[in-house]
Amino acid sequence: MASSQSKRRAVVVGGMRTPFLKAFTDFTRLDTIALGVAATRALLAKHDLPYRAVEGVVWGGVILPAGAPNVGREIALDLKLDPAAEAMTVTRACASGLQAVTLAAAAIERGEADVMIAGGSDSTSNASVQLPQQLVHAFAPLALGKPTPGDYLAALAKLGPVADLVPRRPQIAERTTGEVMGESAERMAQRWEITREAQDALALRSHQHAAAAIASGRLAGEVTKVDVGDGKWVHTDGLVRGDTSAEKLAKLRPAFAKDGTITAGNASPLTDGGAAVLLMSEERAKALGYKPLAAFRSWAYVGVDPADQLLIGPALAVPRALDRAGITLADCDFVDLHEAFAAQVLCVVKAIGSAAWARARLGRDTAVGEVDPARLNVRGGSIALGHPFGATGARMVTTMANELAASGKQHAVLGICAAGGLGAAAVLEAV
Amino acid sequence: MNDVLLTLSKSPAARNVLGALKLPIPLPEPLARGDGAWVARPLEGATVVLGGAGKAELLPAITGALAEAGATILVDDDARVAALRDAAQAHARPVRADVADAADARDRIQALVFDATGIETVDGLRAAYEFLHPRVGRLARSGRVVLVGRERASDAGAQANAVRAALVGLAKALAKEIGKKGATANCVAVAPGAEGRLAPVLRWLCDPRSAFVTAQPLAVTARAKLPGGNGKAASTPYVRPLDGKVAIVTGAARGIGRATALALAAEGARVVCLDRAEDSKDTSELARQIGGTALLVDVTAADAPAKILEALGERGVDIVVHNAGITRDKTLARMKPEHWDAVMAVNLAAVVRITDALVPRALRDGGRIVCLSSVSGIAGNVGQTNYAASKAALIGYVDALATQLAPRGITANAIAPGFIETRMTAAIPMMIREAGRRLSALGQGGLPEDVAQAITFLASPGAQGITGSTLRVCGGALIGA
Repeated sequence: MASSQSKRRAVVVGGMRTPFLKAFTDFTRLDTIALGVAATRALLAKHDLPYRAVEGVVWGGVILPAGAPNVGREIALDLKLDPAAEAMTVTRACASGLQAVTLAAAAIERGEADVMIAGGSDSTSNASVQLPQQLVHAFAPLALGKPTPGDYLAALAKLGPVADLVPRRPQIAERTTGEVMGESAERMAQRWEITREAQDALALRSHQHAAAAIASGRLAGEVTKVDVGDGKWVHTDGLVRGDTSAEKLAKLRPAFAKDGTITAGNASPLTDGGAAVLLMSEERAKALGYKPLAAFRSWAYVGVDPADQLLIGPALAVPRALDRAGITLADCDFVDLHEAFAAQVLCVVKAIGSAAWARARLGRDTAVGEVDPARLNVRGGSIALGHPFGATGARMVTTMANELAASGKQHAVLGICAAGGLGAAAVLEAV
Repeated sequence: MNDVLLTLSKSPAARNVLGALKLPIPLPEPLARGDGAWVARPLEGATVVLGGAGKAELLPAITGALAEAGATILVDDDARVAALRDAAQAHARPVRADVADAADARDRIQALVFDATGIETVDGLRAAYEFLHPRVGRLARSGRVVLVGRERASDAGAQANAVRAALVGLAKALAKEIGKKGATANCVAVAPGAEGRLAPVLRWLCDPRSAFVTAQPLAVTARAKLPGGNGKAASTPYVRPLDGKVAIVTGAARGIGRATALALAAEGARVVCLDRAEDSKDTSELARQIGGTALLVDVTAADAPAKILEALGERGVDIVVHNAGITRDKTLARMKPEHWDAVMAVNLAAVVRITDALVPRALRDGGRIVCLSSVSGIAGNVGQTNYAASKAALIGYVDALATQLAPRGITANAIAPGFIETRMTAAIPMMIREAGRRLSALGQGGLPEDVAQAITFLASPGAQGITGSTLRVCGGALIGA
């Protein structure tokens, strides 16, 4: 694990991403590989990287194409990188992108590589609509064997009511609990007593910060234009609404419970996009003449019971990563929390600020600390920008690395919640 | 073995018919029991109302314990909400006031828990009435009432001591009133210095796994040392609590012994299943099923202790359950000496000899000894002078053992089952069997699993505060109470 004592430090040289667009809009015809290619191509172009420099690609994704699940390898081949560069693809739900980046950082720290590309992408628009398993199992013998007419009848007899056989749209439901993620977030909001107003206020901030970052050109350096065919190019994020207001958000109807608090306005939308990060060992970056943006100090991954508080993971992962980094929350100049739902961010912030939580769940007497709103998600978050599952981690790493480099500040901590009750965190430090 | 009334009561149609006929047959309420191994949050989604009198110093700990178990916490008094908020927030549960006009006030209550430790005077007792009176009607089927008080002590203030005794009477009487809906009422007395040991006990009493324990006083004390120094209550394991432990159960082939071996194994223990060679088939099958070991030994044999020590090996044992027992019923005048001797040999002498061998050489610090006593030992039964004497003996035995072994963090307890549906009780003549079932607060017999769960609880790390005591698993049997 990274620590200030390690000999080798993994540094972030740069990061680029595609614009993030609402699913089933302009990116519909780009699959997750194409989105990854777009982000990585821009990254390579921006840093003018020699052809043979890249030693490996680590990619993160959630909805993996069935025919080519090793998205990282497909990206490398499509970009005509040196075939000698190895590649893998990892999945850890919404923390997949961060997982890819920290795996690359680990490989660099261990001396396995000096130059790695890591990132993630997801195309919700291209999630395959699956046939129900019952149908597949019933008909597989017919498709794969030499069936007799009797076999056809037997297969039909195995089928249940027609309703079970209609292909369904994929839902973000927990496999073990059957609960849709929004319902889990709704329960967490009730348990932590998070109001609708507080959620809408956080969503509003997310849009305002993101809109300001776009307007000022701050995000231009990390977002590439993408060719979507027919001579059309997408230049900028499609979901940010700088002109939204507390009144507009307050009018939206609860999405998951009749008298609930979570709406389309204070949750992250289904999104298409990709993001890539260029990582190097500190020495190689210097040798090649790059000025790194930030270095990895530590990271942590945790699991919690998905039937309890599905999305509270960052409240355990953040303190663990801070401990490993040997710093406190107060030392962090930026706190970047993935906004799956405004409610979930507020629950995590409340847990981190609770001494009672610290005693029960971390075995320590004092709270991890109060999150200063002025340091939280300063360039907007997933509610405003969108959340292509696999890309979000790489987006956050890029934005925070740029933020540290531009501000001259010292530390940034990232926190991501993920399906399955997983939590992820990482600490970046100035180089 | 088949309880016709209980079967009928599970059918809504039969309940309606019997209700319409207005027959004077009280149908027992089928008890909600927890299936399978312990779970992290047995009270998930259940509403629990807490109350207290005076300072009610244990309420924050009670709140924390039940919030951790997944309960939605309501409290009797608005003024207490702020004080309890922190304890519940540790487990991300809010605390709200249970006041008449609140939306929650219509919710069914899974458990009513009252902290009476602040009551010092006879007048103060009224607070218990005021808490329970408006809420007992909202108690759910298979609900729970737990009164938490202080241990009775002859050197306490006379009024305070009266209050402490009063709580037991209140719980026992209430148990009989709410038993018809399958609900239980128990009373926990917490000794000074043992406050940190209350949470797991309270949790278990509110868990469906304590379904057949009612009308009981439980003492939580600091007698047995905490193993490994500062073992905080927060670190008590509630899922697979016996992971890494080794247990031995005598008489494991069937009935309560078998259920106990299964329950201990379900919580992670490796179980040595001991029974006589005649039961080798059942014992071996059980051992195979739970990944344990079969040990075919007659507990009364001279070499039994040596064989057990050998089977346990260097690793030793953490949990010893003395379950093997026999009956040889005859009135004393007709009882032959061999009947007396056989019962004493299996039920008592073997327990003492095996314990004497295990304690110095195999039983590990922080270990557990559980002896199967009987309500018959507490109350006495016609034709069971031998059996009652042997079973009552164990009550005294564990009390003294508890003192002896307390410095090593070992607890010793007895379990006194009431009417349990086993092969032994199925052989009792019908009228007597019916009386055994119905003359109890819950109006039905218990299952071997009910006893097994109580043993498993006493074997768990969370039961460090209970030692030297005899826990009745009797459905609130009227006899001997």
